[in-house]
Amino acid sequence: MKEQIKIRAKNLNFYYTDFLALSEVSLDFFPHQATALIGPSGCGKSTFLRCINRMNDLIPGVRVEGSLCLDGQDIYGPKVDVVEIRRRVGMVFQKPNPFPKTIFENVAYGLRVNGGRDREALSRRVEESLRLSALWDEVKDRLDQSALGLSGGQQQRLCIARALAVRPEVLLMDEPASALDPIATQKIEELIHELKKRFTIIIVTHSMQQAARVSDRTAFFYMGRLIEVGNTETIFTYPRHKQTEDYITGRFG
Amino acid sequence: MSSHQTHLNEEIEKLKHQVLNMAAMTERAVEKATRGFVERDEGLAEEVILGDNRINELEVDIDRFCLRLLALEGPVAGDLRFIVGCMRISVDLERIADEAVNIAERSMILSSRPPLPFHDDIRAMSDKALVMLRHAVRSFSSGDPDKAREVCCMDNLVDELNQKNIRKVIEYMVTETPAIRRSVHIINIIRRYERIADLSTNVAETVVFVVSGTNIKHQRYFDDRVPEADTPSRRIEDVGAEG
Repeated sequence: MKEQIKIRAKNLNFYYTDFLALSEVSLDFFPHQATALIGPSGCGKSTFLRCINRMNDLIPGVRVEGSLCLDGQDIYGPKVDVVEIRRRVGMVFQKPNPFPKTIFENVAYGLRVNGGRDREALSRRVEESLRLSALWDEVKDRLDQSALGLSGGQQQRLCIARALAVRPEVLLMDEPASALDPIATQKIEELIHELKKRFTIIIVTHSMQQAARVSDRTAFFYMGRLIEVGNTETIFTYPRHKQTEDYITGRFG
Repeated sequence: MSSHQTHLNEEIEKLKHQVLNMAAMTERAVEKATRGFVERDEGLAEEVILGDNRINELEVDIDRFCLRLLALEGPVAGDLRFIVGCMRISVDLERIADEAVNIAERSMILSSRPPLPFHDDIRAMSDKALVMLRHAVRSFSSGDPDKAREVCCMDNLVDELNQKNIRKVIEYMVTETPAIRRSVHIINIIRRYERIADLSTNVAETVVFVVSGTNIKHQRYFDDRVPEADTPSRRIEDVGAEG
């Protein structure tokens, strides 16, 4: 029996002005699963990821067709509160992007923007988020110091904590470990395993090994189309499409 | 999108070459052991025993090569199945070669004693086992799962011959008590060919796995389970794009 669907894309087309960047993409995401989006540069995977919390809205001339639903509600519906969508669907980027503020203020930022003023409640949420992102033990004694003094790996986990502080339901990760060393990468991957117990995770990665290690399902995109999706073990052992096999085995002209 | 050769491609070709080389040596060992027994030629039997070291070395080489590819190249999909398949096949080939040595050792004992009337029976059985081995190796070489499946179907014939021949030798032993020791060697030789057929079936099953991704091992014992299990059609449905 299929699990409940958290996000459902149905015949999704996405245009950058006249350029069709995503074509007829139909793809489901399930709660408590990590799904990896893979494919060569320009295949549309990051565009698709950014559709999920309407980050593409900020680009002039973009247009969306088809439907993209979060818990059955169309993300692109006329009465949708985009700020609320972005609260429910958090995002972590390729390069860590902490604000030039203290560690505490970085994590508390989203809460303050949403009106949080109670210092004690903020502190509790900051601690909860830093614990969830496996950073608490490393920073608990220097919460008032600048986030810019943290290592790259710590900064990325701080950004994850910042995303988690507003209690999202979905976490989008756009190559979250591509700028990190192997140890920091491993920590992020371990974190993904933990986080997927509570959230729906969608990760774009260029590392096949990373996709294989962290995700339950994998979707392969090519030239704006979804070529194949399935459980990760199947995709990496018996892919159905030759294009998928060529891509994941590196035979890609 | 077009395919292109990769470094791993070249390494996999080398691996295939090594496995085929080992398979050719194993085939020759079984052929020689059979001829040594049928023609009562101690020289051929000795060649089999001495040649086994090289086959053992090849198994170790292939194992090391596969381990290196797994560690350094991060193979997936068809590449991964091929490398895992080669590791399995080399183990089966090494065991087949050991069976040939066992036949050769018993042939050397028997060749100095009066012959028993089972050469034709054993020849018929060894021919079938050898055909299975050859076809299994050819199916690996050409990546032909249909040919591999044919090998699996042939195993029943050899099993029947095994039972028939052993019964025949036991009946002979009852009346020809002075030949009991030699008859026991004959029974053992019959069992060796049955094992060669089994191990050739293993090779063929591995070829099916490598080429199509379907694991058909032990399927005869789980026939009831097959429709519910990880059959190819079910897997394809699971992987299909949603809509």
